[in-house]
Amino acid sequence: MIRFENVTKLYGSDVAAVREASFDIPKGEFVFLVGPSGSGKSTLLRLMNRQERPERGTVWVAGANINELADSRVPYLRRGMGNVFQDYKLLMNKTVFENVAFSLQVIGRPKHVIRQQVPQVLELVGLADKEDRFPSQLSGGEQQRVSIARAFVNRPLIMLADEPTGNLDPATGEEIMSLLDSINRTGTTVVMATHDHRVVNAMRRRVIQLDRGLVVRDQERGVYE
Amino acid sequence: MFARISYALRETIASFRRNITLSAAAVLTSAVSLLLVGTTFLIQRAFDNLLVQWRGDVGMIVFVRPDASEEQLTFIRQTLEAQPNVINVKKLDYLDRAASFEEAKRVFAGDRTTLSLLTVETIPSQFKVIPLTTDPALVRGLADQYRNLPGVQGVALAEDEFDVISTMSSFVRGVTITMSLILLGVAVTLIWNTIRTAMVARRNEIEVMKLVGATNWFIRVPFILEGLTQGLFGAVVSCGGLWTLNQAWTSGVAGFKTGTGVSSLVVPGSYVSGVMIILLVIGALAGGIGSGIAASKFLDV
Repeated sequence: MIRFENVTKLYGSDVAAVREASFDIPKGEFVFLVGPSGSGKSTLLRLMNRQERPERGTVWVAGANINELADSRVPYLRRGMGNVFQDYKLLMNKTVFENVAFSLQVIGRPKHVIRQQVPQVLELVGLADKEDRFPSQLSGGEQQRVSIARAFVNRPLIMLADEPTGNLDPATGEEIMSLLDSINRTGTTVVMATHDHRVVNAMRRRVIQLDRGLVVRDQERGVYE
Repeated sequence: MFARISYALRETIASFRRNITLSAAAVLTSAVSLLLVGTTFLIQRAFDNLLVQWRGDVGMIVFVRPDASEEQLTFIRQTLEAQPNVINVKKLDYLDRAASFEEAKRVFAGDRTTLSLLTVETIPSQFKVIPLTTDPALVRGLADQYRNLPGVQGVALAEDEFDVISTMSSFVRGVTITMSLILLGVAVTLIWNTIRTAMVARRNEIEVMKLVGATNWFIRVPFILEGLTQGLFGAVVSCGGLWTLNQAWTSGVAGFKTGTGVSSLVVPGSYVSGVMIILLVIGALAGGIGSGIAASKFLDV
């Protein structure tokens, strides 16, 4: 589903955020990207959804070399991906329903599809009874659920999560991980950047560890270390 | 498709409301600059009315009495054509009474009294003469010579009527065009800045839109529509201003004595309507282009 071949990403002329990264993530896998701050985890995610382009190497997503993808095709690539962020990135002037519907609206889905799919996904994340609330009326965990609902409502092939539990207490973090796990079980490939030891050690999924831009460990059913 | 159009329109209106102060400033600046553009058109047209008789380097007009006989007319023509060294005989133009009457309608556009006295039967026909010499004394000598020909009612010289108006026309046109271009530039910049502010205010929304797969055009269109609307609103306001200005001017001119030439400065309503359409197009284009550039430039907020 995702393949990195000797990928190097530089910031400026000589600061390497990612160096010679090579790995393969098959369809339906759940992968943790771990490492300290500044190790290149978020850059890897940004390379996957073409927010960044590498200086060297090739990034393949769903069989396409996305380095060579025309800018005009990038939105269509992203329609097959969901993105979840540490700070949720919800639109504060929109309700829960509107936030989730927004991602369908902007890709031109008709109203009847929106009316059908949004309640379904809100049910999945356990927020069916809060669709009229605004984000400011929700807890951090609930806001992250809305963010996950927004990312998943289009049934993406890939979900990219950047520190989704970073702002949450351990119990709420576990709930979010459980949600991501159930999304992964539907066949969606999940790539999650984190430096939360607990969730990595509890889930025991594939771990790709980064250190100053280098992939230093790629382990099936790994732990944080 | 309907969902996208409806979304774009909704967002345009919402954004317009959110930035109401900046939007109002952009609309007003567009209105003032477009009013000046429109005024330039009207001033130009008004001066053209005065100068219509002297178009094409005409330096002298020999007016022929309406009751002149065919023989007299032929004699005048032959006299003029007999001087190819001082007159451009190839371009010697004769306006019969009907053509002269049509021309008079423009010259006396605001002088209903004079115009009502003129008819195709009573108006003099005219020869438009382009002198080859630039020596004013020589041209004046020619005029005196023609004035005494049988059937000639009078001779008018461009240098007596044309030069001051022409100089004034060029000056006024230069000033108004320069000012309107500067103001139009200010209006486009203000619209550009309004769109930039709107985009920065909605940067989170734009980021989310991009990440969920909205195309750049889908994101841009509401902003472009917003700028286009601002330009168009400004143009509508300027059209109102122009119409009012022209009405006031027309009424003011009516108070001048007939024969002073000021009456020629009246611009007909049909011409003003044409200018208004031009203003609406310029307003929409300026707003659309300004916002389009801003929307493309600041898409990576």
